[in-house]
Amino acid sequence: MSSRTVWRSFQTHARRRLIVPETPYRCFSCTRRAQEPPKSSHDDRMTHFGFQNVPESQKESMVGAVFSSVASSYDVMNDMMSLGIHRLWKDHFVRSLNPGSALPSRDHDTAGRGWNILDIAGGTGDIAFRMLDHATNINHDLETRVTIADINPDMLAEGQKRSVQTPYYNTNRLSFMQGNAQELPSIPDNSVDLYTVVFGIRNFTDKQAALNEAFRVLKPGGVFACMEFSKVDNSLFNAVYKQWSFSAIPMIGQLVAGDRESYQYLVESIEQFPTQEQFRGMIQKAGFMIPGRGYENLTGGIAAIHKGIKPLSRA
Amino acid sequence: MTRPQPLLSLSRRYLTTITTPRTSTITTTTTCLLRSPQPQPQSRLRTITPRIRAYHSIHHPSPSHPYTNSQTTILSAALHHVPTHGFTRNALTLGARDAGFLDVSVQLFPRAEFDLILFYLASRRGLLRSKVDNDNLLQSAQPQSVDDKIKVLIMERLRMNAEVKEKWVYALAIMSLGENIPMSLSELYALSDDILTLAGDASVDASWYSKRVTIAAVYASSEFMMTLDTSAGLRDTEEFLGRRLAEVGAVGDKLSGVKQCLGFMGTTAVGLGKSWGLKI
Repeated sequence: MSSRTVWRSFQTHARRRLIVPETPYRCFSCTRRAQEPPKSSHDDRMTHFGFQNVPESQKESMVGAVFSSVASSYDVMNDMMSLGIHRLWKDHFVRSLNPGSALPSRDHDTAGRGWNILDIAGGTGDIAFRMLDHATNINHDLETRVTIADINPDMLAEGQKRSVQTPYYNTNRLSFMQGNAQELPSIPDNSVDLYTVVFGIRNFTDKQAALNEAFRVLKPGGVFACMEFSKVDNSLFNAVYKQWSFSAIPMIGQLVAGDRESYQYLVESIEQFPTQEQFRGMIQKAGFMIPGRGYENLTGGIAAIHKGIKPLSRA
Repeated sequence: MTRPQPLLSLSRRYLTTITTPRTSTITTTTTCLLRSPQPQPQSRLRTITPRIRAYHSIHHPSPSHPYTNSQTTILSAALHHVPTHGFTRNALTLGARDAGFLDVSVQLFPRAEFDLILFYLASRRGLLRSKVDNDNLLQSAQPQSVDDKIKVLIMERLRMNAEVKEKWVYALAIMSLGENIPMSLSELYALSDDILTLAGDASVDASWYSKRVTIAAVYASSEFMMTLDTSAGLRDTEEFLGRRLAEVGAVGDKLSGVKQCLGFMGTTAVGLGKSWGLKI
């Protein structure tokens, strides 16, 4: 019975694909081919785009195309790819950060009221809404506010659409901005308490530049927290996981979102992302202090939470 | 008995740990000499002075404790809030604010409250050591036995908890959570090891282990007792501790009696067998 429902939903998806006029670049689920890079001169710096090497100048637009393509089916796809586990990860991430001040601020406290949270690459608002919920319901903090920044207007539009359903719609606790995480000129130095980037940093063209920018905007004592796909530490589990990610995920992408190439890119970009230790080194290089081991593996290392704290400047 | 040490008197210097038991001055100094990279005549003269000193004084930098400067600053500040807020995240947050950090900076402590508890335990242990080394806790007119010194040390350590007595049950609850048990036990072991070392116990046989286990058990039970103690100056706890230590002594006596008896019966049996002509 339930399998019939699922089958019907596949069919509806397929039917809808036929009716809805497609944007030019995704007519035959050919995101990557449509964006085929023209042959460029050899002195251009190269970077990864999945398993391909592309000029740095083009990665941004190519990633943009991928996410424009998956924006509408983002949550359904995440559920199917991770079997729903991504929700547990996100809940755990937010709970461990414990956003919001449970204690009333005292007279001599220098920090302002509530936290100023910047959620980078959080277009659909997954993390932002969870953090606001946690601050409000657990810590009874009505001051904490989140700015969602994303480079992709389609993902932001998806988040704005969803924010209508939340109690934070049209309040000063939630705001959206379009921007590139490697350069955030609209955000002043030392202004952010908590900087989060969840499943986003692997798509950045220059990760170190983004980390340096995070260091700039954070207040001294502020926290950089990042959740990203990482390396599985158990070789047996790794074999199963690789099998799943390289055969099942692109197929699910094709069936559900009608877009194999974008999901092929997702799994390839996961493969290209540095290991836990390498990424911790990058965070340290940006100037952050590392608490404890510096990262926490989730589900055997499929994803990992990295944290860094900006030290107080000693005058 | 001794003046109470306020929470404020904490600093990093109490957080070093003794790695090797200081059984005697002579072994200490020889090891120092053997291990010192470039033994200079002057420093050798100084090391041989017949004064009991910390093993890690000059030639052996004490093993660094696992906290960074910022972590120590926040944790020390947080301890001021423990008597009112207990061993909670709130105490940590207030400590972070006092140290000039933000609320979010408590992310420096992946284990949250448990980090605060571990810091408390480690620093109290260091404080106990410094009381013996600097405040002559164990000096008295008549010579004390090792057992007496152990009792004084355990009681002194328990008195340090008096300030946070009401909140200590919560800390014990957190320490008994599954993932925290290994660290709690190793801290308990370190404490009993320190107490025995400071009391001058120099056993080098199997009793080295049994003594540490016994002291750990006695300390842990007395600590429970203390959380329920409402008497002035922890008098009930002190009596309780005295009874436990007496029991340990009695059990030890019984065991050695049994051992003696078995040995006697064994030799008798052997002698009897020999007298019957058995080739034993």
